Formats: sequence, structure tokens, C-alpha cells
Amino acid sequence: MKRSTFFAFIGPSVLVMTALMIVPLISSLFLSFHYITFRSLDEPVWVGFRNYVEVMQDAEFWDSLIFTLIFIAVTVPARIFLGLVLALLLDQIVRFRGVFIAGALLPFVLTPVVGTLIFRDMFDRGGLYWWGIQQLFDYRMFFDTATVRSLLIFHTIWVATPFAMIVLFAGLQTVPQEALEAARVDGANWLRQLWHIVLPHLRSLFIFIGLISVMDSYRVFDSVFVLVQGNSNVDAETIMYYNFQVALSFGRLGKANAISVLTVIGIFIVLVPFLLLTYREQLRDA
Amino acid sequence: MQRTKNPIALGVIYAVLAIFMIYSILPFAWTISSSIKKPKDANARTPQFIFEPTGDNYAELWLDDDPSAFIPASFGIAAMMLLVVGAGFNAKRFPVPGSWVYIGIVLAIVLTVLTIPRFVNMADFYDFLINSVIVTVGVLAVSLTFGALAGYGLSRYRNILSVMILVVALAFRALPSMAFVLPFYYLGQWSGLYDTHILLILALVAINQPFTIWMLRSFFMDIPTAIEEAAMIDGASRAEAFFRVIVPIMWPGIITTGLFTLLLAYNDFLLARILTQTEASTMPVGISQWTGGEDPGHVTLAAAASVSVTLPMLVIIIFFQKYLIRGLASGAVKG
Repeated sequence: MKRSTFFAFIGPSVLVMTALMIVPLISSLFLSFHYITFRSLDEPVWVGFRNYVEVMQDAEFWDSLIFTLIFIAVTVPARIFLGLVLALLLDQIVRFRGVFIAGALLPFVLTPVVGTLIFRDMFDRGGLYWWGIQQLFDYRMFFDTATVRSLLIFHTIWVATPFAMIVLFAGLQTVPQEALEAARVDGANWLRQLWHIVLPHLRSLFIFIGLISVMDSYRVFDSVFVLVQGNSNVDAETIMYYNFQVALSFGRLGKANAISVLTVIGIFIVLVPFLLLTYREQLRDA
Repeated sequence: MQRTKNPIALGVIYAVLAIFMIYSILPFAWTISSSIKKPKDANARTPQFIFEPTGDNYAELWLDDDPSAFIPASFGIAAMMLLVVGAGFNAKRFPVPGSWVYIGIVLAIVLTVLTIPRFVNMADFYDFLINSVIVTVGVLAVSLTFGALAGYGLSRYRNILSVMILVVALAFRALPSMAFVLPFYYLGQWSGLYDTHILLILALVAINQPFTIWMLRSFFMDIPTAIEEAAMIDGASRAEAFFRVIVPIMWPGIITTGLFTLLLAYNDFLLARILTQTEASTMPVGISQWTGGEDPGHVTLAAAASVSVTLPMLVIIIFFQKYLIRGLASGAVKG
């Protein structure tokens, strides 16, 4: 393909990404150095690094960051582990496989706001799970900070496990049969085959799922909105929700942009090794 | 791995998977039942398994009118939907190409939805539905067109420039949308595009573009270059070869990518919440008004709204399930 043809093909897409991603990112950086509220949208006042200093001194920022990190640390391994177990089970059966996959996909395709809402109602007073917990453990659940935080984690695992399951199940179909055969001849049991052949084969998939999961957990917002908004005695803000609150509830656009810039820097620190790896891989194939 | 032949182990496996499936679909099934309960039953202290069903919640959600006016219309709509789903499943039996049948179905649905307000006064939620449809279709059209062109270009022109574009796009895929949406909000207020469909469509296209080009590119890489080279030897230009030869065999890839784009645009809440106020708000934003409420009527209304939002998407997913699963699995095979 000629260079000019290439530009013609990628032109619209690159234009959209430049105009709608690079320009906003730069304006975000610009706005983060200004004091702006909804009343003073037209006249941002230059304040230097004051927004950043204010964010750093804000206990709620650290609170939300720590909860986000806990959230990632729990949900990412949980969904990979559960996904792997379910994929291994699916691999064992033939009949009804399609039915199980279709059923598992439902939480994945639900609109997140809807999914959280119906998940919450199951645990709310008079809900099915609420009633079940009360009957079994004689415990009346109510929405305090710890409950809402666990519900957020539970809900995310409920939604995200099917993705891990399907990816890993597809990966299991590509495990080289000769290697398994050889191991079996050598007397390796199921567990040893899993540990020495299957799991190493799936390694790149674990990284793939892990990376996507970390990115998605880092920016979790919709479910937090549903569970936290209007619930003033609950403290379960994630970093994105805190960012949203600073922007829309407190009307501090400048400070909110400073938080955005900090979160972008944060995710980049995690991401740079993988970006470099992709860059080298693609360059080798090119 | 080798399959077990032990019947007890197999029984346990089926039981675990069945429990997992029930766990996956139970909340939605429960919501369907809540949506046809009276607020008194839905808010009872113990779950009501036996109750007198009612359509009032759906009537209140959709109508700005006396519910009785809706009863004949609702039967009409239900019959229409059955007909459409039946036609969709039997598309291959019609004496015309399958794609014509699908286009006809989509047109019939759109016409039905648009003519309803002539007969009954619709509530706000109808406007949210129309906004959702406009935004989703807009995002699909722009995103897939631009994405297919770029994906093709990137799959065929392989050097350091294209690799750099891909890596930058990957970095964008990772960024939280909050980093883009606040400047969008600011620019929207400034340009007067705030609370319009256009701003929301553009924002969603931008957020979705990195994923679209990566996914479409991987599908284009599976198509051997010999195919378009043959067409070009026969005198076709690159653009002609792309549109006449490549695009027709790319439909599975475009449908798969389209499904993920559809899910993103239809399900989006954050962008719609920040970039719209009333005129262009989509259904997720409409539902969020019932999330924090203590009002007993809200539970049943929210349930009716949840079912209404989910059903169209479920029909689409059931039709195209194999494309969705293939798309998820292709991440597995290609890494």
C-alpha cells in the first residue's frame, strides 16, 4: 500500500482521535491549572499547582484511591480464578454447553446501571437474597459502608466473570493435545497436567484478562453511582466517583481536571511496560 | 483436557454450572416479576412469590395518559414483536435475500415505535428511548465506517508509523473516560453543543475508536492480501477493491465489532450523565432517577424500566450470540 493511500484510509479515524482525545487531554491539563466553577466557565483564573496541592491534601481523595486499589486487588484475581474454574468445568462437558454460556452472558450484556440496580434490589429489604440471608443466618442486612463496599465487589465479579470464562475456555481449546498425551503417558495426573501444561499455555491470556480487568476496575463508576448516590451515610467512593463529585456536585471543574490528570498519570505508570511490549511485538511483525 | 467419565464427577460439574447459571440470571428474573407487581407486593418485608400481576408499572413508565388507552395498543405491539421475532428466526425461508428481511424488520420496528405517539401520549421514558436509539445508531454508523477504513489501512501498511498509531490507540483505550469527558463538558458549554445528540455521539465514537480499529484490524489481517491484489490486477483501484471485494467478506468481523460498539453506546452512563441534561438523555440516565429513592413506587417503576431497557438488547444478543462469543474468544486466540 502506498503511503498516500494509507493516509486516506486512516485519515478520518486519526482525525477523530486527535480532535476528540488528544485535544481534550491537553485541555484537561490546561484546565487543571485554573480555578473554574459553573458560574465562571468563561473566565478561568490561573492558580498554578494549587488544585494539585488541594487534591493531595484532601483526605477523601486518598480514601477513594485506597478503596479503588482494594477493589482492584480483590476483583481482578477473583474473576480470573472463578473464570478459570468455570472454563475448566465447561471444558469437561459437551451437552448444554451453549445454554450455560448464554446464561452466563446475561450479566455481561446488562446495562451497568440496570445490572447494579437489580443486583442491589436482591439485597435490599424484602429482596430475595436479603430474605435468604435472614432465613439462613438470622441476619438483617442493611446498607452501611462495609456492605455497600462488598456489594460493589460482588457485583463486579458477577458481571466480569463470564468474560474471563469465555476467553479462558477458548484458550483451553488451543492447548496442544500431544503435550497432554505425553504427560499422561508419563503418568501425570489431572492436577499436574493442569499445572505444568495448561496454565503455562494460558499465561498470555491471564495477562490479557488481567490488564483489561485492571483498566476497567480502575474506572468503575456506574455501579458506584447507583449504590452510593443519595446514601450519605455510606463511604464507598471510588476514584472516578470522587472525580465526578468534585466536578458536578461541588462544581470545582479545575480541581476535577487535576484529579483526571493524576489518574491518567497513575494508569500510565502501570501501563507503560505493556505498551512497550506491544510496540516491540508489533514492530517485529511489521 | 481429557474429559472425565466418572458419573459422580460429571453430576457435580453439571450441578455447579447449573447453580452458576441460576446465579447469573436470577436477579433479572426476579426483576421481571417485580415489574408486574403492585408496589405493595414489591415492597413487602418478605418476598412475595404469589401475587396478582399488573401492567400498571409499564403503563406509568411509558404513558402520560389513562392506562386503559394503552391496552389495545399494547396487544398490537406485543403481536408485532412476536411477528418480527418469528420473521427474524425464519429469515432464511423467505424467497428474498436474508439481509432484505433483516432490513425490513428493522424498518418495521422503527416505523411502529415512531407512530405510537400519534395514538397515545407518551411519558418522558419514550423520549429517552428515542434518544438512546439515535445515539446508538449514530455511534455505530460513524464508529464502524471510520474504524473499518483505519483498520484496513493499518492491516495493510505495516511500518513504524502504523505501529505507533496502534500503540497510541491502545494507550487511549486504557484511559478513564473522565479525563476526556470534563473537557467535553467544558467545550460543549462553550460551543452550545451541550445536551445535543451530536456531542454525545462524537464523545462515544472517540472513546470507542481505539478498540474498534484494533479489533477490525485483526479481522482484516485474517483476509489474505491476494484477494484484493487479484481485483487490482483486474484494474480496480484500492478503494474499489476495498468496497467491492473486502467489505463483503468482512461482514462477520463488522457485525462482531458492531455488537461491542452497540453494547458500549447503548449501555453508557457516565458520558450521557455529564454531557446531557434533558433533551438528549438516554435510557440509563432516565433510570438513574429511581436509583436513590425511598419512594415505594420507585422499586416497581425501576423494575419495569430495567426490563424495558434490557429486552431489546437481549433480542439482538440472542440473534447474534455466536458473533459476540467469537469476538470474546478471538481475544483469546490472538492475545
